Amino acid sequence: MTDFKINHREGDGVSVIELKGYLDAHTAPQLENAFQTLLNSEKYNILVNCRDLSYISSAGLGVFMAYIEDVRKNHGDIKLTNLSARVYNVFDLLGFPLLYEIFKEEREAIGRFKVRPRS
Amino acid sequence: MSIKKRQQRRDTHKPVRPTTVSSAEILPLFEFSQIVNSSLDLPFILNTLLLTTMGKLMVSRGLVMLRRDGDIFEVVSAKGVSSSVAGTRLTIAEPPRGNILLHRMTTKGSDWISFLKELQQAVLHPMISQQRIVGFISLGQKISGSGFEKKDLELLESLSNISAASIEKANIVEELKAANREVDRKLQQLNTLFDLGKEFNLGLDDERVVRLLTFSLLGQIGVMRYVVYLRQNDELRPVAVRLDDRPPLSEALTSLDSLRRPALVSDLHGDDQFKFGAASLHAIGIEAAVPMMIQNELRGLILLGKKLTEQPYSQADLEFIYSLGNLAIISIENVRLFREALEKQRLDDELKIAREIQQGLLPQTMPVIAGFEVAGINVPSSQVGGDYFDVVKKSDQEYIIAIGDVSGKGMGAALLMSNLQASLRALAPFESQLPAATSRMNDLTCANTGLDKFITFFWGILNVETSTFRYVNAGHNLPFLLRSDGSVERLDRGGLILGVMKTLTPYEEGEVSLNVGDTIFLFTDGVSEAMDENGNDFTEERLERLLLEIRNASAQELLTKVKCDIEAHARGVLQSDDLTMLVVRRT
Repeated sequence: MTDFKINHREGDGVSVIELKGYLDAHTAPQLENAFQTLLNSEKYNILVNCRDLSYISSAGLGVFMAYIEDVRKNHGDIKLTNLSARVYNVFDLLGFPLLYEIFKEEREAIGRFKVRPRS
Repeated sequence: MSIKKRQQRRDTHKPVRPTTVSSAEILPLFEFSQIVNSSLDLPFILNTLLLTTMGKLMVSRGLVMLRRDGDIFEVVSAKGVSSSVAGTRLTIAEPPRGNILLHRMTTKGSDWISFLKELQQAVLHPMISQQRIVGFISLGQKISGSGFEKKDLELLESLSNISAASIEKANIVEELKAANREVDRKLQQLNTLFDLGKEFNLGLDDERVVRLLTFSLLGQIGVMRYVVYLRQNDELRPVAVRLDDRPPLSEALTSLDSLRRPALVSDLHGDDQFKFGAASLHAIGIEAAVPMMIQNELRGLILLGKKLTEQPYSQADLEFIYSLGNLAIISIENVRLFREALEKQRLDDELKIAREIQQGLLPQTMPVIAGFEVAGINVPSSQVGGDYFDVVKKSDQEYIIAIGDVSGKGMGAALLMSNLQASLRALAPFESQLPAATSRMNDLTCANTGLDKFITFFWGILNVETSTFRYVNAGHNLPFLLRSDGSVERLDRGGLILGVMKTLTPYEEGEVSLNVGDTIFLFTDGVSEAMDENGNDFTEERLERLLLEIRNASAQELLTKVKCDIEAHARGVLQSDDLTMLVVRRT
């Protein structure tokens, strides 16, 4: 079985999702569930840290695409950080940098969400 | 050529004619050559070329065009003129191989000359690398107002040609990069197909397959609006919808039924066959339709809206989506076939049990009855009909002889038959009144079964002392009584089929006395309705003729002969119903 893990933490009005391992057709539903859970609890500021993501397939990319409209409709965003060269290449090939903001580090991304919920 | 000279040539790409360039200008030329040759960045090379020439020749306007296809040249860099000219494409038929002073040219018939003149260009020079014109550099008037001298034009030629080689090199690198990216993209597509193929092999349910399919459409192609249809009960049903409008009406889809290849909606407009469907798809922003095929049959359809990039769908996109769709539909089909196989296996198992139940209910050995021969046979069909026969000793003098046929097949029939046997065996020892017993069996059957279940049933009591046979026929095929003198009687007294309604009118009892050589032949409809390959029944008439011919045979022989004749009649045809016969003969 392919190895894939999702870690979720909350901080500073932003939900951080850390991806680890292989995100492909088999594991894509896990990411889908993670996004759905955030949306269900009305958390729309989503930062996906890809530091330990070693592979992403187009089904994996599709999950990002499937949720971006809903998230932005609610004034949130999905931002990506810490992409490895290999993973970035796949994002780039399919034209993702046009649609998603991609940052080197989490702290750069965190300041860029529009609406900050009052804490 | 000496090694040294060859080395020189390679270094400069295009020999600069040293005799015509003064020594004071060689050094800057060498520097320029080093700068542009060390770069693969096209914009940088062009910028350096323009700025160097404009600086050297004191010109305030200039532009560079690069060759695209054939005689088409595109303005890629401009200084001192409106930046909006970048991207302008000009056709320069028979491009000049030497410099051209534009004020000497007539504009007649040449758009490109008037275009350059409008931009106040004065001189045009080709950039030639390996005999090929890769582009042009064009300059405006010198700021000093003086005309271009010979040495100016020679410098322009040198700079142009040095740049030409670098441009060519940068172009090749760009092409390689583009080709590499295309290979990467293809690889990514293959990975996607592989990734999904692997996952689909796990035998996912339809919903999950469609979900993964849409993720791949979203991720790989950047399709943000789509509908996926699957054919269910001969109708295309939307199973995944991401649209701003309602999905198209089924009439629109019907016209796409004969779509066999992926197609752009804009192409379908021109096809009479698809025109109607295309119009309604276009109305809701659908740009392409991709069929999902199994053996040349449309089993699903993917409708695609605008791509995220707003680019039109390329043939390669459509082919990829077509592969993806077919992968998905095959997986869905495989799961369906697997489920069907499982269901068939389950039915087969059930039939096997039903057959075991049925066979267990039939008498394993026939009782020996003094002065009589009894023989019975049951040949079950593959479906397991509900035939039943029994011979039960009631007392020293009396034996119960019974035959029945339960409606339906399989497990249901077997269970009802087992019910029948249970009530017969329970009632037999105590009940000597056949009509009353039949009424009770009918009422029991009515109470225990639904409207669609019934039993044709015949039973009688053979008294061996008096050689009489009393019977009740509840809607069963009339048994034959074959008299030794060659006459035939049918045992027809009785009443309604068991299980249809509660007993209102009592069953009638018939009685016959049996002489030596008389034979009672009982059978189920599997005998008279055995079909030949043309669909013709064996028929009771044929059975009667046969029985008359062989009426003097022993009970067992009689059975065997009838069975042989039926087999001859139904040769090569699958037996569709149980076949049951029972013979009682007075010896």
